[in-house]
Amino acid sequence: MEQTLVDPSKWEQFRAGWELFRDPILCALIAGCVLGFLSVYVVLRRMVFVSAAVTNSAGLGVALAFYSEIHLGMHVEPVLGATLLAVAATLLLMVEPARLRLSRESLLGMAYALTGGAAILVGDRISQEAHDIQGILFGTAVLVTPEQLATVAIVGGLVLFIHLWWYRGLTFASFDRVGASVQGLPVRVLDTVLMVSIGVMVGVSTRALGSLPVFAFSTVSAIAALVLDLRLPWTFLAATLAGGIAGVGGYLFAYFNDFPVGGSQTVVSAVLVGLAMAVRLVRNAVSKPS
Amino acid sequence: MKAGEPGTSSEEASHLPAEKALGEPLLSCEKLVIGYGGKAMLPPIDLTVRRGQFVAVIGRNGSGKSTWFKTLLGLIEPVSGSVSRAGPHVRSAYVPQTSAIDALLPVRTRELTAWGRLSGWNFLRPFAARSDRHAVDTAIDTAGARAIAHRPYRELSEGQKQRALLARVIATEADLVLLDEPTAAMDAVAERETMQRLCALSRERGLGVVVVSHDLIVAAEHADVLLFVDRETSAIVMGDARTVFCHPAFRRQYGDDYCQRAPPGPHRGTDAG
Repeated sequence: MEQTLVDPSKWEQFRAGWELFRDPILCALIAGCVLGFLSVYVVLRRMVFVSAAVTNSAGLGVALAFYSEIHLGMHVEPVLGATLLAVAATLLLMVEPARLRLSRESLLGMAYALTGGAAILVGDRISQEAHDIQGILFGTAVLVTPEQLATVAIVGGLVLFIHLWWYRGLTFASFDRVGASVQGLPVRVLDTVLMVSIGVMVGVSTRALGSLPVFAFSTVSAIAALVLDLRLPWTFLAATLAGGIAGVGGYLFAYFNDFPVGGSQTVVSAVLVGLAMAVRLVRNAVSKPS
Repeated sequence: MKAGEPGTSSEEASHLPAEKALGEPLLSCEKLVIGYGGKAMLPPIDLTVRRGQFVAVIGRNGSGKSTWFKTLLGLIEPVSGSVSRAGPHVRSAYVPQTSAIDALLPVRTRELTAWGRLSGWNFLRPFAARSDRHAVDTAIDTAGARAIAHRPYRELSEGQKQRALLARVIATEADLVLLDEPTAAMDAVAERETMQRLCALSRERGLGVVVVSHDLIVAAEHADVLLFVDRETSAIVMGDARTVFCHPAFRRQYGDDYCQRAPPGPHRGTDAG
């Protein structure tokens, strides 16, 4: 009797290889959620370009770690390089630019251009890891190592814990800095905690997922949430969910359609903004008095 | 020019009638020189804000009043001299311009008022205590903001926004309130109502109030003390409306009309009703 060989469907392949896909999906879920939460600060404090510069710096940090390993014989964990440069960039961008007679935008633009360009230059000198560099810059990495997942999970858990615990102080100091300062809140401490947590989370996530999706999670998630016009705590929750959905949804979309992961996650983030707009339009139409 | 010389602060300040009758000092500026990068903008200022006192700071654009106010808030280091609170027990609150709260921020009046309960490190308690929630409700009622308590701040009218910010001030239970042009962008009716509410708060709760204002007449009607600053002539004039409005430095900037219309002696406006 003749038996026809049928290729297993994508879904069956996915189920069969679940152990392989579980870690990157979990990693995207955690990073998406935590960065989605942080994105509300990024967008409402008009720091979108900060996020871009910090993610670029993280990419440069990974490239420099590879470079030092290959050319200098010095082992530096790429995730450490990413985190160090991301935090350094974040702290640098906290400096009041008026002291340098510059606007914040110009300082951010310079940081973005410099780190992006430097990452390309360093990448050019480490052809052995060119694929990894590509993955970091554009998020084409399909798999993450258990160490990367553990790092993202631990750092993400800590960041989220501190942010939920200090929520009242962080929101007040972020959205009415002078008022919080006059009422005696430690505004500088709160600012530093916020910025360092963004830097660290961007750093560890960039190593695992790539710059592009990390930038999308840390900015576009909040846009989707803000479009819904919810109360502030619900906006944080919606942005957290949007980041998580973009992370997991983007990965699945990429897998089932043979697209690059980072690009898919970024596009799904943007699609969520479109969906949020549609929801708001419908809600407005329903609640509009006749 | 220094305080004590003609046309400056201390001469008038020493015989301010309101100061004698008012309560304990809350904030003191001693030989305070304001400016940027070590460069003085104005002569030294000596001023004590007391409990129940209403001080309005006036002056033209670029006169130095915003710099003085920022120095008072601790946002700018003084060139010399000092700003000091009477003690750690003195609680301060700040009311920004209504436009200073970002229009993108999806915050409701109640959430904004709840920020008034935060001070020092008490945000480490992740949820508001029952007493804080009660204080927020009371503040909203006292400010007449119940109807807008759950409405987004950005959708409120200018007058409603100011009411929401006043609710926050009440929630702070502050002794000293610093307001940066609270009536900017308001129509005349909302402006007068806001100043009347502030006046009433100052009287009823013994608040020290320092307000930066562009509206000379409204400021004169409600403040115990007017502080006129003028960088151009290096003048600081402090006193009641007549003293300030009839001072040569003021007349040089604003003409003689205000002097003729100025009410004699300190004036505390009318009740909010």
